[in-house]
Amino acid sequence: MSPAITVNDEPHPWREGMTVADVLRERNFVFPLLVVSVDGVHVSRDAYGTTPVPPGAVVVVTHLVSGG
Amino acid sequence: MSGTTTSPDKVPAVEVEIDGHKVEVPEGTTLLAAARKAGVRIPTLCSHPAVEPYGACRVCITEIEVRGRKRLVTACNYPVREPLKAFTESDETRQQRRGVLSLMLARWPNVPAVRVLAEKHGAKPPAYRHPLRNEATDACILCGLCVRACSEMAWEDIIAFAGRGAGRRVMMPFGEPSERCTGCGTCAYICPTGAIKVHDEQNRPVDPARIRKYGFRLTQEMTLLDDQQCQMRRVGTAHLVEIMDAYDLLPTHNYKFGKHPDTPKIASHVWKTFVRQNVPDGCWAGCQMSCAKAVEDFVPRTGPYQGQKVLVDGPEYETVAGCGSNIGVFDPHDILEINFYCDTYGIDTISFGTATAFAMECFEAGILDTEKTGGLELRFGNGTAALELLHQMSRGEGFGVIVGQGVAEMKRIFAEKFGGDPAFLRDIGMEVKGLEYSEYVSKESLAQQGGYAMALKGPQHDEAWLIFMDMVNKQLPTFEKKAEALHYFPMWRTWFGLMGLCKLPWNDVEPEDNAKYPEPNKVPGHVEGYINFWAGMTGQEVTIDDIIRMSERVYNFQRVFNLRMGKGTREWDRGPYRAMGPVTVEEYESRAERYDKQLRELVGYDPAGKSTPEKLAALRKYREEQYEGLLDAVYKRRGWTRNGIPTIETLRNLGIDYPWVVEVVRPWLEKEGAA
Ligand code: FES
Repeated sequence: MSPAITVNDEPHPWREGMTVADVLRERNFVFPLLVVSVDGVHVSRDAYGTTPVPPGAVVVVTHLVSGG
Repeated sequence: MSGTTTSPDKVPAVEVEIDGHKVEVPEGTTLLAAARKAGVRIPTLCSHPAVEPYGACRVCITEIEVRGRKRLVTACNYPVREPLKAFTESDETRQQRRGVLSLMLARWPNVPAVRVLAEKHGAKPPAYRHPLRNEATDACILCGLCVRACSEMAWEDIIAFAGRGAGRRVMMPFGEPSERCTGCGTCAYICPTGAIKVHDEQNRPVDPARIRKYGFRLTQEMTLLDDQQCQMRRVGTAHLVEIMDAYDLLPTHNYKFGKHPDTPKIASHVWKTFVRQNVPDGCWAGCQMSCAKAVEDFVPRTGPYQGQKVLVDGPEYETVAGCGSNIGVFDPHDILEINFYCDTYGIDTISFGTATAFAMECFEAGILDTEKTGGLELRFGNGTAALELLHQMSRGEGFGVIVGQGVAEMKRIFAEKFGGDPAFLRDIGMEVKGLEYSEYVSKESLAQQGGYAMALKGPQHDEAWLIFMDMVNKQLPTFEKKAEALHYFPMWRTWFGLMGLCKLPWNDVEPEDNAKYPEPNKVPGHVEGYINFWAGMTGQEVTIDDIIRMSERVYNFQRVFNLRMGKGTREWDRGPYRAMGPVTVEEYESRAERYDKQLRELVGYDPAGKSTPEKLAALRKYREEQYEGLLDAVYKRRGWTRNGIPTIETLRNLGIDYPWVVEVVRPWLEKEGAA
C-alpha cells in the first residue's frame, strides 16, 4: 500500500515533496480562515508552501467560521 | 554580501546587515521592518504598523552604507532595494537622534512620549527657548498618526494637517466639527500624547479607554488582515459564494445540490466590479467592518423603476445564494434587480429566494403548471418569471399572492388545491416554525441540521453555524460534543442580540494570534474584547460564563414564549428531510459515491445491487434516527425534557421561575410526567 497521511481524520494519499499548500489544494480547502497543524505543530499561513508533510503525518485543518 | 536572490513567491529578496546581524527581506521592505526581523530595535515616534510610514518625527534616523557610501535615512520609510549595512548605534546615528530629540524637547518639554525617548537616548533640552514652546503634557507633536489613521484605517479623511511652518496643526475642515465624524475614536487611540480626546456624552460608559482599546484592536485587524482574510471591506459577505460552492454548501435548485458549474458568474470577483470600492460602507457610519456594500447607478429592466438609475443596497451572500443559485439564476443583474425590489417592497431576500425555489421545484415536478401560476413559467433559472412574481407579490395580485404567504402556507395550498403529494411537499418545503431556511446546505452536518431546525425563531443560521466544525474539521464526533456546541454557540450568539451588537466583528476578521488558542473557533481574543466592552460600559466585571448565563435566561424565556405560541415542542424542532439528506433519486445519484460509502461505513448496509429508492430509504432511516439522538442530547444539555420543555429546575436555576412562566410549562411537564 502506498503511504498515506491523515487529514481531518480521513486518509489522504501522500507523495514525495508534499507541502501543506499541496494538501490544502488537493482537499480544495479554499476558505481563508484556517488553523493548520502538522503532527501537532502549528503552521503559519506564510509557511504553507514551504512546510513539508512527512508520510504518516496527522494534518489538522481547522476551518473557523465567518458570516452572520 | 551575497546580493539579490529571487524568493519562491517571485519578490526578489535582498540581504541586509543591521548592526552585524544579517537578514534577507523582500525587496521594498522598510529598513525599520528589516531591523525588526533582525531583532534590532530602532526608536520611533510617528510610525505604526497599521498605517503607511510618513517620516514626520525623524526619531528613527539611522546611518546606512550602500555600495561603499554612507548616509543618513529615516528607517520607517526607507525602502530596502539593494544590499546595505545599517548602523543603529554608530556615533553619527546617535548624535543625529539626540539632536532630533533635543529639538522636540525644546518645543514639547512635558510630553511623556518625548521625555521618555529623550532620556533613554541621552538628549538634553537645548540652551535656547523655542519660540513655539508648549508646556502641555498632552500637546500635539504633529506626528500625523491621527491623520493617517483616519484615512487609512477608518477610510475617512475627516482630519488633516492645515497651515504651514509655525501654524501647522491638525484640524477638521474649516476648523468646524465635521458631521461625518462619528467619534469612532481611532485617531484618539493612536495619538501618542493624548492630544485628541473622545467624549461619549450619549452612552456615558464607565471606562471609555477600556472600550476604545478593544475597538482600536478591531480597527487595526481590519486594516492589516481583512484583505487576506474575508475581504469584508471590499466585497462583504458575498466573499462566501465561491467558498460555499467549493465545499458543496451553496444551495442550488431549492437546496437539491451544493454547487453549480455557473457559480463563477456570481462569485466575489464579479461583485467587486459592481459594488462601490474604497469608501466606508457600514450599516452605521463609523463601523470599521464596512461590509454593507452598495451598487450605484443600477438600471432595472422591469417594474416601476424600469429604465431609471437606482441604488442597490447589497448584495449580501444570503441574497446572492437565495435569489441566485437557489432559484437557478446566475445572472448578476437579475440578482441585483431582485435584491433592489425586495428592499423596495419590504420583502426579505432569504424568504423570497427560498419560497421561490420551492415554487420552482413544484413547477418542475408537475405540481404546478402555467394554468395554476397564471402564465408564469416558474422554472429554475427563469429570472424574468422570478421578478414578475416579486412584482405580483407587491401588488397583491396573481400567483404572487400564494408564494408571498411563504413555504408553510404553500405546502398546504399545493396539497389541498393542486393535488400535490403532502409528504413530498413536506420533504422539499424548506421551512420550520413557519420561517424559510437561510442559504446553506446542511445535509452533511447533523449539528447544523439541529442548528437550523432547533433555532427558536425558525431556521436562521445566526444561532449556530456549525457546518465546518462538524463536517470538515470533524471536531464534533459525538452527540454530546454536538450538543455542547448547540448550547455554547446559540447562547453566545444570543448575547449579541441582547446587547444590540452586530456579530460580524466577532468572527469575520480574526486576530493574527487566534491559532495559538486551544479553541480558535470561539475566537477567544474577541471574546475577551466583548467581556471588556461589558465591563467598560457598565463597570461590572464578568466572565464568559456570566455572559452565557445572561443569554440562557433570555433563551429559555423565548422557548417558553414559543411554547405559549404553540411552537415550542419537539415536533417543531424537526426540519424537512431536504435539510437532512437527499430526497429524490436525482439528488442521491448526483453524489452516489458519498452516500454509498456512508451506507457501507456508517449504516452497515451494503448498497451493492440495491436500487436508488432502496438506498434512499436506508439512508433516510439512519439520518432521521441520528437526528432524534441529537435532539435528546441537546435537550439534556439545555436542561429541557425529552419533549423540549424547560424543567422547573432549569427555570429556577436561571432565576426565571416566575409564576406566569411556570404556568405555561407546567401542563406540558405534567403530560410527560416530569412536573
Ligand atoms: S518614526 Fe520614522 S520618522 Fe518618525
